[in-house]
Amino acid sequence: MPTSPVLSQLLVSTSSAVENASKHTLVCVFLRGGADTLNLVVPFADDHYYNTRPSLAVKAPGLDPDCAIKLDEHYAFHPAMKPLEAAFKDGRLGLLQGVGTDSTSGSHFECQDQMEHGDSEKARPAGGGWLGRFLRSRVAQSTSPLSAVAIGTKLPESLRGAPSVSVLEHLDDVAIKAPSGDPAAVMGALRAMYGADVSLLGQRGQQTLDLFNRMTALRNQLYLPANDADYPKHGFGEGLRELARLIKAGVGLEVACININGWDSHFFQGTTVGGFAANAKVLAEGLAAFETDLKALRSRYTVIVMTEFGRRIYENASLGTDHGRGFTFMALGDKVNGGRILGGWPIGAMDETNPLGPGGVDIKHDFRDVFAEVLRGAMGEVDAAKIFPGAGLASVGLMG
Amino acid sequence: MQTRRTLIKTAAFGTGAVALSSCERTISELSKALGQTVPEKMVLPEGAAIDPEFHLLSRAAYGPWPGDLERVKSMGRQAWIEEQLEPDHINDQVCDLRARRFESLFVSAGDAYEFKKPMLRDELTRHALLRSIYSQRQLFEVMVEFWTDHLNIDLEKGDCIYLKPSDDRDVIRRHALGNFHDLIRASATSPAMLVYLDGKSNKVRKGRDDKPNENYARELMELHTLGVHGGYSQTDVREAARCLSGWTYDIKRIFALHRGDSYFRPEWHDDGAKTVLGHAIPSGGGEQDLDRLVKIVCSHPSTAMFVAKKLCIRFVSHTPPLAFVGRVAAEFTRTGGDIKAMLRLILNSDEFMASPGQLLKRPFRFMVAALRAVAADTHVHGSALRHSTGPLTEYLGRMGHGLFQYPTPDGYPDAEMPWMGTLMWRWNFALSLASQSLGGVSVPMAELEKAIGRQGGRDAVASRWWSHLVGRRPGADELKALAVAAQEHSGNGNARTAKAELLGVMLASPAFQRC
Repeated sequence: MPTSPVLSQLLVSTSSAVENASKHTLVCVFLRGGADTLNLVVPFADDHYYNTRPSLAVKAPGLDPDCAIKLDEHYAFHPAMKPLEAAFKDGRLGLLQGVGTDSTSGSHFECQDQMEHGDSEKARPAGGGWLGRFLRSRVAQSTSPLSAVAIGTKLPESLRGAPSVSVLEHLDDVAIKAPSGDPAAVMGALRAMYGADVSLLGQRGQQTLDLFNRMTALRNQLYLPANDADYPKHGFGEGLRELARLIKAGVGLEVACININGWDSHFFQGTTVGGFAANAKVLAEGLAAFETDLKALRSRYTVIVMTEFGRRIYENASLGTDHGRGFTFMALGDKVNGGRILGGWPIGAMDETNPLGPGGVDIKHDFRDVFAEVLRGAMGEVDAAKIFPGAGLASVGLMG
Repeated sequence: MQTRRTLIKTAAFGTGAVALSSCERTISELSKALGQTVPEKMVLPEGAAIDPEFHLLSRAAYGPWPGDLERVKSMGRQAWIEEQLEPDHINDQVCDLRARRFESLFVSAGDAYEFKKPMLRDELTRHALLRSIYSQRQLFEVMVEFWTDHLNIDLEKGDCIYLKPSDDRDVIRRHALGNFHDLIRASATSPAMLVYLDGKSNKVRKGRDDKPNENYARELMELHTLGVHGGYSQTDVREAARCLSGWTYDIKRIFALHRGDSYFRPEWHDDGAKTVLGHAIPSGGGEQDLDRLVKIVCSHPSTAMFVAKKLCIRFVSHTPPLAFVGRVAAEFTRTGGDIKAMLRLILNSDEFMASPGQLLKRPFRFMVAALRAVAADTHVHGSALRHSTGPLTEYLGRMGHGLFQYPTPDGYPDAEMPWMGTLMWRWNFALSLASQSLGGVSVPMAELEKAIGRQGGRDAVASRWWSHLVGRRPGADELKALAVAAQEHSGNGNARTAKAELLGVMLASPAFQRC
């Protein structure tokens, strides 16, 4: 009887188990909608902040639970970010002000795409996503079918061009539900058909079949997060938990992408109550739980948090904020030079009449330079010039 | 085909159906009596290349229902296209039996608040699914999906869930095969759109330092009309927002006859002079400013190209030739935005006929095409509490295509890449459907086997099933792959499971993912 396809795939995977176990994972959190980071990392020492946001400004550090949580002489956290205070004080969380794209479109889709593609508005697109280019540059080393995972249902633009990407919500769901109970025949037929198809569809089909085989090996009983880590009951929390499982399993995960939606707060943004605050809570609680769960493996991952643009320093007539430019970039992990807020003081902002970004925070650091610095600091030997052609490759000291 | 007998049957059953309308099983039996079933014998594609009428049905409809292919062949493609372009003349009573039962979708926006959110969500999705699967007005339903994406509304924002049913009825369905200017005008003051893109808070009050809310103005130009590279500036966006100021929606209005309607508040309107895309709009225009703005943006030459390109991408190719897009755009301009005229041009064109099998079916199309191809019946086994489209909506969500749930105004994309991460869910859906294990959905396997024919060996039968599903005969490699699926079960007793796995594998094949 011929070897079943499932068995032969397992044999191929285990030969690189040692390599896979030691891979470092970059977790990219994208806050979709243009997050108002000015209200996450509050410049309480600048009166201008309070003048331009009579309703929306977060109270300066004080005794009230509504007050911001002091980080240094100039900045404080939105109270909902409390779960990340420890990481900042421990030097694991670094913050960089004034990061952004050179896009002047003010469009979510343009800016998200530009950021995910790692492009400049002025130059020709580099092709595909920045994470896709990064993974391609490593393809000489063995890459597992699970080298890139996106939590959710859609392939993110940043992973476009990656040698293999798996999009999933829960690890346990990943199985072929053959009517007979034995997936071998179905998988054999699909392997033959998708294998013969030379297009993108054929490739993706084969990668999906590879993934099934891998997940069969990973599937076990109920997963209990370590150290009583309490993930928030939200897609973000659940997704981070699944990523933690994958990191612990040492399957060769190098890049993970996860989103939090709903940051486009044009209307009734709220300060410590409301949609924005709720989102901030999910972000902070999620990342804190992730750190707790992976306490024993802190050297194995780095988390970065980005958004397509920040919002304007002034509030609009609907007590919300409109699209701005610069935002506060966050990096979390052992390799981050944390406990500091980089980016100069005071934060500069564009004039209200500036057509390129009225009221938007000045961009001091092109996001490509920042991403390149993170890659170099966290992922080892990296050909940054290939991944971000034409970028300045300047370093700001965010990574240790 | 509407015979006198069928008409009488419909009338007779009609009253009965209303009385028994809560019972899904009666509906499915009635539907079968009225012709929504599998014909005795089917005409199957013969050639190695995709059959041209099959191709037309795969794009202009959600794929053929058993018997459709023969009908299109006998009347000819052009005649079928013309028939589909006059949906009001197509008798859709059999679909209405299934789809006209959702109370919540026929009330005004104001009254929709009396329904609970989960029910509204469920009914909107079930209605869209049922119409797409069972309607005879297939091209109409295809265009409803197109415009729903184009004028995206996310149910999860604010009151949108209460307002989308009336938007679906009064904006999308009213104008899906009508005029583009009318469609945009209706959308601009649709309560759902006013909430979704913050138009209802776009106010510039006299004597205050209000800044207009630019959200809808921006998306109107970027996503609905000119497109992001259409040649508008940030100043145009701001001026457009000024034109739109004052249009609002407030369910809590006292002393209003129709609280669920949008209305204009003069005291919130910026009545100064404005300039949009080079057109001067004099001061004092009041509520007419919105009409002027709609006319300006819809008539802009970039709009014709933008809309034409989107249609070509949906119907022909992800990289449509510029010259072809230009012809479609010219038709848009010549007819002042007539949607039927553009579709007529596209569907009758050589470019369209030369493109079979080149598009990837998005998950919704994949699911509906699979259900139609096997003449599936979605009905409840007894309990009125079980929503038979439950597993369908769940799979749609997993495939990343939950209806009315796209979080951003650009709507579900047409490109291939975003859909490539969820192949496993398509495969599992295919296997579940084929093995009758999608709760509440049944496949008439015996009738299908009879119509497709049981004669010839295993390969001959598989070949004919493949033709029915894919529109062409399988290649030698494809037949070998299908044999792998059938092979491991020979001697394993359960013939029904083997057939189910084979059908499932065909629906999961790369060929069926395409159209």
